[in-house]
Amino acid sequence: MSHREHVEESLDAIRRSKLNAFITVDYEGARRQAEEADAGELDGRLAGIPIAIKDAISTKGLRTTCASKMLEDYVPPYDAFVVKKLREEGAVIIGKTNMDEFSMGTSTETSFFGPCKNPWDLERVPGGSSGGSAAAVAAQEADLALGSDTGGSIRCPASFCGVVGLKPTYGRVSRSGLVSYGNSMEQIGPIARTVEACATLFEVIAGYDPLDSTSRDVPVPHYVARLTDEIAGLEVGVPQDFFGEGVDPVVENATWEAIAVLESLGVHVKETSMPNLKYALSAYYVQAMSEASSNLARYSGIIYGHRVQKDHDWHTTFSENRASGFGKEVKRRILLGTYALSAGYYDKYYLKAREARALISRDFQRVFKQFDALIAPTMPYVAFKIGEKIEDPLSLYKVDINTVPINLANVPSLSVPCGRKGRLPIGMQIIGDQFNEQLLFNIAFQFEQNTNNTCAL
Amino acid sequence: MITKTDVEQIAWLACIELDEEDMQAFTIQFNAILEYFEELEDIEAEPIEEEERNMLRADEVTASLTQQEALANAPRVENGYFRGPRIL
Repeated sequence: MSHREHVEESLDAIRRSKLNAFITVDYEGARRQAEEADAGELDGRLAGIPIAIKDAISTKGLRTTCASKMLEDYVPPYDAFVVKKLREEGAVIIGKTNMDEFSMGTSTETSFFGPCKNPWDLERVPGGSSGGSAAAVAAQEADLALGSDTGGSIRCPASFCGVVGLKPTYGRVSRSGLVSYGNSMEQIGPIARTVEACATLFEVIAGYDPLDSTSRDVPVPHYVARLTDEIAGLEVGVPQDFFGEGVDPVVENATWEAIAVLESLGVHVKETSMPNLKYALSAYYVQAMSEASSNLARYSGIIYGHRVQKDHDWHTTFSENRASGFGKEVKRRILLGTYALSAGYYDKYYLKAREARALISRDFQRVFKQFDALIAPTMPYVAFKIGEKIEDPLSLYKVDINTVPINLANVPSLSVPCGRKGRLPIGMQIIGDQFNEQLLFNIAFQFEQNTNNTCAL
Repeated sequence: MITKTDVEQIAWLACIELDEEDMQAFTIQFNAILEYFEELEDIEAEPIEEEERNMLRADEVTASLTQQEALANAPRVENGYFRGPRIL
């Protein structure tokens, strides 16, 4: 099959789709790039492969909305670092995927362009905030996708849609060109149907970038070449804190069955505990909201973005632009962040959240002295119904209980499918120490080869 | 406990105009969320570790956006400038 035919299959799947996984599809550009690949003008590790990109990542000349009315017509004048890397390797960018507005959500229901649906059950959410990216990959509307993960936004939809998704070590992938939400915690990462494809994409996007001051100059290993490394003898910890109240027993069982598979492959498993994880949800939300209130202050509707018809004085104009450009959840987080940073409350909320983050980081440092990796359920349950939680923000925040600790500790975590409840996929996360993504791929690869959970929609 | 007046004040600080309906709903929701955050009060003050390391690069002049590119997304432009609302 030619690259053009292969890309056309993706575009057909998108056209027929009921998922609403894409905000913008670049039919013309994708066909042109596929033809270039066929003509041998594009080469590289991803030549001719259709890839979908979360709409929070800047693509030169291709609308980037962040699923917000605020950026409905915004066309970036430059490519994000990761997008440059994809182009260098010949990837075909087929479109921009649906997401929660400004990455704020766990269900892809807060999008200005309407909710995205779960490919396994159209009445359910795909997870979020990178819901469109995971749904597109699961439904074969794209071979690969990029998402971003501030508090679980890659791993949650990977788990709910039955695909593989990595939240990398903080600083491993450049954030240059990613629209900022919670900048001290977020990373761009790969989503794919197999561990090998996920590792291939990660190898392309990882690396140092002087345009991101938090990017780390650490050599990028050849993850794919070492995918088959031996895992027997590894020490794996299972922290009981990830199996707390609210975890569906079916999810708990699937995780333990997966752990038993790893034991049969020679991995040593032991239970452990990380007591400070109980503060993770509050610490994450206080910090993410505080950072959001600062990062989103730039949207005034003057240099770019949504602007109301009639001008008043500057404060009224800015306030009206922001009132009509942002959705409810974005307003909630900006307001709560503003409150947490305001005089009199900074010590009570923001500083306490920073202290909790330090405690949680130390919990991880301690367990990684004893274990090579940790295993836990990615999400406490399978995908919930569209509309089930959206009216009660706190109930939706609590869905992130198992994913946010990883972002607070700056460590990597890979979510892989490990079972099903009915038709709905269950995911487990394999968590490693900083810059130890290789080990996560190796464990996941052996697990995948010895089980049958890979997406087959 | 935060009141509707508090929410109004925060909205002014954050430069986001709220309608009456949102103000009512946010007041109830914010109280539930802030009550949840109160668990952080248990934490004993401890020194904060360095979590982010910022690496600065040399301040060298490189190619940047053209004026046309910089203005391309602006809702209102006049004589090659961004047009903002009046200040006074």
